[in-house]
Amino acid sequence: MDSKNDEALDIIVTNVVATFRTRCHLNLRKIALEGTNVIYKPEMGKVLMKLRKPKITASIWSSGKIICTGATSEEEAKLGARRLARCLQKLGFKVRFSAFRVVNVLAVCSMPFAVHLINFTTNNRPIASYEPELHPAATYRIKNLKATVQVFSTGSLTVTGPNVQNVAAAVEHIYPILYECQKPRCK
Amino acid sequence: MSSKVCKHCGSSDIDVDQARGDAVCMGCGSVLEDNIIVSEVEFVESGGGSLAVGQFVSSEGGNKNPSFGDGYFPGTGSESRAQTLQRAKHHIYTLGHQLQMNQHCLDTAFNFYKIALNKSLTRGRKAIHVIAACIYLVCRTEGTPHMLLDLSDIVQVNVWVLGKTFLLLSRELCINAPAIDPCLYIPRFTQMLEFGEKSREVSMTALRLVQRMKRDWMHTGRRPSGLCGAALLVAARLHDFCRTIKEIVNVVKVCETTLRKRLTEFEDTPTSQLTIEEFMKVDLDQECDPPCFTAGLKKKKSQQLELELKKKIEDFEDEIHGYQDEIDLELESCRPKLRGVYAAYTKEECLSDALNSTSSKGTEEMTESNELLAVAKHFGKELHEITLEALIKLEKEGSEEDENQQENENIPKRKGPTLASILGRMSSSATLGLSESISNCAVDDVEKDDITDNGELDLSGIDDSEIDFYLLSDNEVKIKTALWMAENSDYLKEQKEKEAKIQKEKELGIYKEKKPRSQSRRNTTIRAKTADEAIEKMLEQKKISTKINYDVLKDLNVKPSPSQASEAESPKLKQSATRTAGSNRRPAPTRTPLSLSTPLSTLGKRLQPFISKQPNKKLAVEKTEATSSPTVTEVAHPSEVVVEHGPVIYDDVEEEEDEEEPCVSAMELLGGDGYGCDGEYDDGY
Repeated sequence: MDSKNDEALDIIVTNVVATFRTRCHLNLRKIALEGTNVIYKPEMGKVLMKLRKPKITASIWSSGKIICTGATSEEEAKLGARRLARCLQKLGFKVRFSAFRVVNVLAVCSMPFAVHLINFTTNNRPIASYEPELHPAATYRIKNLKATVQVFSTGSLTVTGPNVQNVAAAVEHIYPILYECQKPRCK
Repeated sequence: MSSKVCKHCGSSDIDVDQARGDAVCMGCGSVLEDNIIVSEVEFVESGGGSLAVGQFVSSEGGNKNPSFGDGYFPGTGSESRAQTLQRAKHHIYTLGHQLQMNQHCLDTAFNFYKIALNKSLTRGRKAIHVIAACIYLVCRTEGTPHMLLDLSDIVQVNVWVLGKTFLLLSRELCINAPAIDPCLYIPRFTQMLEFGEKSREVSMTALRLVQRMKRDWMHTGRRPSGLCGAALLVAARLHDFCRTIKEIVNVVKVCETTLRKRLTEFEDTPTSQLTIEEFMKVDLDQECDPPCFTAGLKKKKSQQLELELKKKIEDFEDEIHGYQDEIDLELESCRPKLRGVYAAYTKEECLSDALNSTSSKGTEEMTESNELLAVAKHFGKELHEITLEALIKLEKEGSEEDENQQENENIPKRKGPTLASILGRMSSSATLGLSESISNCAVDDVEKDDITDNGELDLSGIDDSEIDFYLLSDNEVKIKTALWMAENSDYLKEQKEKEAKIQKEKELGIYKEKKPRSQSRRNTTIRAKTADEAIEKMLEQKKISTKINYDVLKDLNVKPSPSQASEAESPKLKQSATRTAGSNRRPAPTRTPLSLSTPLSTLGKRLQPFISKQPNKKLAVEKTEATSSPTVTEVAHPSEVVVEHGPVIYDDVEEEEDEEEPCVSAMELLGGDGYGCDGEYDDGY
């Protein structure tokens, strides 16, 4: 279907961000004082709680909204979120686990070739943008997938999207385009 | 046109002249209509040429009909959009002149701004950001050697913020700016580095260097200024100019480390091996990979090497273990058997020895976790608070004991792998001593796909005992509370003070939820029939100043007594010239004589120029003081004179009277720009 070579590209998901709501008001001070691995940031109005087993950092707001970052897969994110909710339940809050949603997935991938960024940007003008003064990578935004791919001149990519399928689809989408603008290896 | 047929002769041939506004019958020559309303544009002669008669009504403009007479703003359009554009134009021109851009570019930038305005891209963004982005957009499309850094220097805004706005603008306006070519910057930097006569040659060399760098793939993903800096450094040295790195850094605005790195990268390319003459003539065909690519490859190689080495080490390890066991056995057999009390102890030690040496994962884990628990109890902390260092210490202690018991040669290598294996396990499980729960959870981890939206927490796969570790016991809570209070005492104090303040204000009844911006006064224009009324009203509205004697001001209608006033005025005026604006409002203890309604004729020739522009209401008070004294000498320069007819409106232009102002000269106070008196007004009264 796609013009991929026989060797498969390793897409490594490095970060999954998810949010959920506890439907109840949380007393941040109590969490801060009675939980381990918590950092209370009163000026920002939130508590950072770090879990060990799925390695997750959660930002907890007093309204009951929680953002979990640091998971390496969607399932792990859900597990971590549930653990967190359980932990809060034990602290004494009437926690209900609702509206769990994976918001962002970050993955890295590496092409076996280097990419000529300037050609790449000229060929894909409005979709791709490259500003060397600001960032060494060219940014390629895929609108229908709502994914953003950042292409570095070494051929490494970082892909961000709303879920893992989108990310995989984005990589497949961009592979042929990059293949055309590849830089021939010389040494 | 009503008439198509002539009344007199009945011919239908009627000539209508739009310019003259009459309709004439061509048959009989009778004039059928005259004074038709015409819609021609008329021109009027004025100073610099001819101006069209009429008022500018913008097509995008608001619904406000410009009212005739009131709301008169000299020099500016009365509608908000026109004002915005005017302001933006002014800013663009100022910035552009600082960057020495030509008029054409600035006009283009202004056009971009207009498009952005129409697309509502200026909403929610600071005007200066959008303006700077427009200018940079023009720079990129025209290919001028201006960097975003220059703009950010002038505007004093973070480069990344500007860059964000710029990217957004270029995306929304669908303007594809060509990529930055480092060659563009070379002439500019060469000029700044002042190479004198040889600058052309130096820039040629630098250009060649940059082109070579481009072919060697050093320029992708890098700031163009960095490359230019490196190229210029080399070019300068080639032509016997000793430009230090510091000078180049000042010009090019990258740091030393970057320059050095670029130079080393260039060193790695084969071109660097050429001599100067060869370089100028020959262009090597071979191209290189980008330096970060090669660095990445190197990393991969080194990692592979490490892995191989590790494997080898492990093989050696096994061998050594084998030898160790043999030696142990031998020693066992050779060692004299102890009798008595100590026999039991030695047996135990041997057992533990054997356990350790076999290094089965489970048992090691058990011993480890037991040891950890023991350590934890000793330190009074929770299990998971033990850091890596503690574990390493423990490991060392443990292995030391082993060595002592073995009575053998020290095998230092033993420390390494066990720690490494522990580390390996740790990184995979990421917990210390929670191995049982890990295995449990791995088994129980069953995910349910359907999300229970009613909010029930699905407890499958969650080990409660583990969660309990996350909660502190009561004792610990107390300790932590104390610590936290101590840590955040400042913040807590602030909060308390805030609350106390709010409470007080609530009691006093003047508590405001939020301080609203005092914008209400902005739009009210005072309408008064005479100038005196206007002043009164204005003063009422304005903040009450402690420096004004209001009783005196109320008697503004009293006619002047020049002689007594003059002496009082002149020393006061001398003071007023040097003091701040606020204090200038202090009127004389004796009466301020004049009001604006006194005819100019009484004032004398010298004083007419002192009647200045209206928006400055400070002047209103000043004027009364100034005009009274005919002998004012220091206010010598007549300012622009505007003779007022009819009712005077003062607009509440926000003036910071109560703020600190630097010494303002009397001329500025009177609103003069030093233009000189217009001849027309010197009518010889």
